[in-house]
Amino acid sequence: METWANNLFYIIFLGQIFLTSYYFPEKILARMRYVLATYPPSTHPRLYPKPAEYYKTGQATFRLANRIILVLGLVILFAIVFVVDHSSFADDGYISEAWPVVYGMIQFLPLVYLEFSEFNQFKLMRQTNSATSRKAELRPRRLFDFISPSLFGLAVILYLTAVGLDLYLHQFVMNWGQNLWLTGGMLFFAVIGGIKVYGRKSNPHQSNLDRARETTAALLSLTYLSITISIFYMFLSVDNVYNLDYLDAILMSVYFQAIVLLSIGQLLRNLKLKDINFDVYKDDAVAA
Amino acid sequence: MEIVIDIDDTVPPFAQLIAQIKNAVLNDALHPGDALPSIRQLAGDLELNHKTVAKAYRFLERDSVIQTKGYRGTFIHPQARANSAVDLNAWVMTKLNKTIATFRDAGVTDSEIRIAFGNVMNNRSNTGA
Repeated sequence: METWANNLFYIIFLGQIFLTSYYFPEKILARMRYVLATYPPSTHPRLYPKPAEYYKTGQATFRLANRIILVLGLVILFAIVFVVDHSSFADDGYISEAWPVVYGMIQFLPLVYLEFSEFNQFKLMRQTNSATSRKAELRPRRLFDFISPSLFGLAVILYLTAVGLDLYLHQFVMNWGQNLWLTGGMLFFAVIGGIKVYGRKSNPHQSNLDRARETTAALLSLTYLSITISIFYMFLSVDNVYNLDYLDAILMSVYFQAIVLLSIGQLLRNLKLKDINFDVYKDDAVAA
Repeated sequence: MEIVIDIDDTVPPFAQLIAQIKNAVLNDALHPGDALPSIRQLAGDLELNHKTVAKAYRFLERDSVIQTKGYRGTFIHPQARANSAVDLNAWVMTKLNKTIATFRDAGVTDSEIRIAFGNVMNNRSNTGA
């Protein structure tokens, strides 16, 4: 690997370690602590189908997992810089892109745990919801109520461009592996987006305004992710054809960070706690 | 506009839906041409069975309060305001009361009326409904 690319990778990988395993987890934990302190079970019982201790344990587990992964990341970086013989991992002797990819996947594990916890939380909230009155907006929800058609169009065009560029660079021979991954990813986003817009309400107490805000944030996040992935696949196509292998590891690390920034970062930025209606979780609240 | 359903109410949910949509039309909260949510969306939001919402929409369509335009969705009917004021159930009750009163005046017993009514409803009489 060329020296400048080597050094650049070390810095970028350090960014990946801290961004995903320290910066965003700390932000998420701060929000959790704030909610628990400001809207406690005594005044907002509907928000807590389980005792407060359960949530504190969950926070501690999330924090510990991220700390362990943070240390693991630093150990991996140390090994990449001082210990590992890169020629034994990859034939070309460059730092393998497997390092940021495998480590990135490990970094996502606490976030997956968080997603499952949220899913369970809403399930419990639905089970314990004793309200007999239910409210709904009497107007249709449509995709473009939440996201601008131009942004959505840009995401579609970039996806088609990514597939087209790959075909062009490979003399119109379909690269099934890469294009299937890309298409699969886009379909996954479409399904998630569809559930957000047209699906059932997962949080039974959430106000309609909060739900609309959350849907907008989620769809924006999915669209930005889709755009990033298309651009990434375009880079991959160019990289494969022009033998820019020394950039693979850097590209992967940047890619993982972009995913975190555009998913968690985007959601945290767009869903401010001060905008959320927590009154619906009070004991005497009318069902949302 | 928001719709509120109380699942513990003695009035069934589909009837609550019909009444609230008609009231919204009469109170100008909904106007001709306004789009309504799909059956799936409304059923999901209200945590009701799809069939319950479909039943309400079917009755509203029969009463020309709403109209379905294929894949484009469901909309408030152009004559919805006039049609929302019509209560078919009340009209049926009035007509039945008058008819039964006529039968009684003619000396037909309640038992005979019930049997005849049952026959007509079950399609067993010659005149069949």
